[in-house]
Amino acid sequence: MKKWLQALRRNLVALMRRPGAALSVIFLLAITLAAIFADFLPLDPLRQRVANALMPPNGTNWFGTDELGRDIIARVVYGARTSLITAAGAVAIAAAVGVPIGLVAGFFGGWRDAVLMRFIDVLLALPGILFAMAMIAVLGRSQLAALIAVGVTGIPSFARITRAQVLALRKRDFVTAVESFGGSSGYNMFRTILPNSWSPILVQVVVLSSVAILLEAALAFLGVGVPPPTPSWGEMLRTGKNYLYEAPYYAILPGIVLTLTILSFDTIGRALTEILEDRHDTGAGLKPEGSKA
Amino acid sequence: MRMTFLPSLRVMGVALMAASAPLSLTMGSTVLAQDLQTGTLRVGTLNDIANYDPQQFSTINFPLIKNLYDSLIEYTENGEPVPSLAESWEIAEDNRSVTVTLRDDVTFHSGKTMTSADVDATLQKGANPERGKNVFATMAVVENWETPDATTVKLNFKQAVPDKQILDLLQFLIVLEAEGVDNIEAVPAGTGPFKLANRVVGQSITLEANENYWREGEPILEGVEFTVFTEDASMTAALESDALDLIYNGSSRAAVRLRDAGYTVVAGPGKLVQVFRINTTRGPFQNESFRQAFNYLMDRDAILRVGYAGLGEVTALPWAPASPAADPAYNETYAYNLDKAKELLDASGLSDAEKSDWTILTNGGQEDAVAISQIVQGSLAEIGINVELDVRQSAEFTTALLAGDFFATFGGVGNVQKFPSRVATNSIYRTVNNPVLKDPHPHPEYVAAIEQVNSAFGEDVQAAYDNLNKVLVESAFGIPTNSYETGLIVAAPDVGGFTLDIDNLLVARTLGFTN
Repeated sequence: MKKWLQALRRNLVALMRRPGAALSVIFLLAITLAAIFADFLPLDPLRQRVANALMPPNGTNWFGTDELGRDIIARVVYGARTSLITAAGAVAIAAAVGVPIGLVAGFFGGWRDAVLMRFIDVLLALPGILFAMAMIAVLGRSQLAALIAVGVTGIPSFARITRAQVLALRKRDFVTAVESFGGSSGYNMFRTILPNSWSPILVQVVVLSSVAILLEAALAFLGVGVPPPTPSWGEMLRTGKNYLYEAPYYAILPGIVLTLTILSFDTIGRALTEILEDRHDTGAGLKPEGSKA
Repeated sequence: MRMTFLPSLRVMGVALMAASAPLSLTMGSTVLAQDLQTGTLRVGTLNDIANYDPQQFSTINFPLIKNLYDSLIEYTENGEPVPSLAESWEIAEDNRSVTVTLRDDVTFHSGKTMTSADVDATLQKGANPERGKNVFATMAVVENWETPDATTVKLNFKQAVPDKQILDLLQFLIVLEAEGVDNIEAVPAGTGPFKLANRVVGQSITLEANENYWREGEPILEGVEFTVFTEDASMTAALESDALDLIYNGSSRAAVRLRDAGYTVVAGPGKLVQVFRINTTRGPFQNESFRQAFNYLMDRDAILRVGYAGLGEVTALPWAPASPAADPAYNETYAYNLDKAKELLDASGLSDAEKSDWTILTNGGQEDAVAISQIVQGSLAEIGINVELDVRQSAEFTTALLAGDFFATFGGVGNVQKFPSRVATNSIYRTVNNPVLKDPHPHPEYVAAIEQVNSAFGEDVQAAYDNLNKVLVESAFGIPTNSYETGLIVAAPDVGGFTLDIDNLLVARTLGFTN
């Protein structure tokens, strides 16, 4: 078994030993599976039955129905797909751009570091939600636009964390050894340093996932997210707030699912941080990938 | 025909109106003007005004128009004309002119006395295609006008014009001070019961009583403070927490809830009709059969219930029930029927790809618009046509709407309870300068039908209305769905003295507090 896989398994086991984190993993797993296999469930998020509008939770519609008579639980499940796809895509974009920037900036230092970090500073200076709204104004209102907008706002965090890791590892013996044996900069960055920096990046993936879901929901709540009738938790909150008196469950139930999802990601992220810090304190986290030490 | 109201009768008329107004309320207090106390009325609205030009007769300007200005005549809630700035009027026997006699005791907020020169300046603005705004279309029947003396104005028409249309024109003419016409968008120049005291753009407008107002005993209030809200929920919460005395033009859903909670809900006669506007110059909508299918594709009951909490009536024609052209038979003939819609869609000869190659422009800032657009989207999906919503925020939506930059969209139309050709004041129904359909009008049969209505007398009138209705559903560039309330007033129980305006404008001059 590859080392990284062993490390993943080790961390997962440690994670599951913590009750809060274990519950969070189970909840997220359930949400993810429901989102992936939603098409195989007897749920139709778009079917309108206006005669049944704003029905309270019942045996047929567990979460009740919305103002168009659509099944709220079906929209929550399909809304999970919207949120998770946005989160996954956004994290992928943020990591794909942010990690190389951090690697190059930290590895080479000097003017490259200065230029790249000023670029990151510019991104950081822009409030995330406003920047995302501006991007959507340019790109148009779609899931892809929301995904890109959220992803771009996540670039700085990956870049800074990666750079910090590279700076910590840059002068370590195993990196110097590779260099002295003629390893290229690219090899050293991507094959030597990066594999030994993945732990905080993994934590950042988890943390940014929750941020991305929240940001996507916020954009939808503000009316610039995924266009209707595509289900979205934020859109459900936005519409549901108009019916708080007649049908409080309309906003509350999707809100609870959104809250639990974000809470789960945060709980896992916090647990992972603790696990990795424990390893760091015991020296386990400092073993370079492929080293015999 | 001559109508003259003596001053004493006029006062009695106003008093009777004030006393009878509550009969039309869904819930109201029966108070006479003398029982009302003065004070400052705190009003919540959902939008800031566009400008102070009363000829821009758009809903967002409704809170101020009848408070800063007066029109030549007014309608009672039942549509009866009563004098206002015009003391009397006389329509010529041949219906080719009307002579208006102005009151001589009216002053503008500046202190200047109103004369026929001010009416002349108002008419000049209204007749100007660039500056006339919503009045321009109504002025189309006017050939010219004369002002023989300071209190007389004679309007000459291009042809014989029906009485009702002449009265509509007089009711629509709000007199502006001649010196203020050029700057009217920025500075109000009216004779109304209140004067502008302060405005914080986007936040609040404060009016103070016009102490020289010509109507005896009015206004009752010392002032009116408008607060602009961005959310219906926060506005209703402000009313419920006693931070406001009255909310204007809120949602039907909130009004129903507040009515059940004991608040006074005032629904006037000036309903709007929601119309699915179709740009017949674009995409599949150039095909008549494709367009006509939408007469059957509208689930009007669902739209009324979801969008407007059931407050209103379904209608397949752009008329309020009180309109002389209203014909309820059309509601049955063109009821929601997907089978008939599909037949017409099939008859269009368009491919499936062509049928779906368009979007529904949707105002993302209006939850009701988003909901009813989804209902149409859902109906289309049931017969295999999948279209996207082109959701834009309010300002962007309005720009696209007024420029005709859309395939289809929902939009309310007004003047639906007046003379039928007044429907042509709404952009989609304009016969000339139509911003959506452009010139020359692509539906000459509609233009001819409006002309026929404008020139019909006696027994020909009903035939003209019938023809117009037939042309409207056949040309199908506007598919009406339902009438709905606009300018809904929800007030605290201690507010009384409501005057119902024919267009549902807010009339604050008779309002006061009961304790």
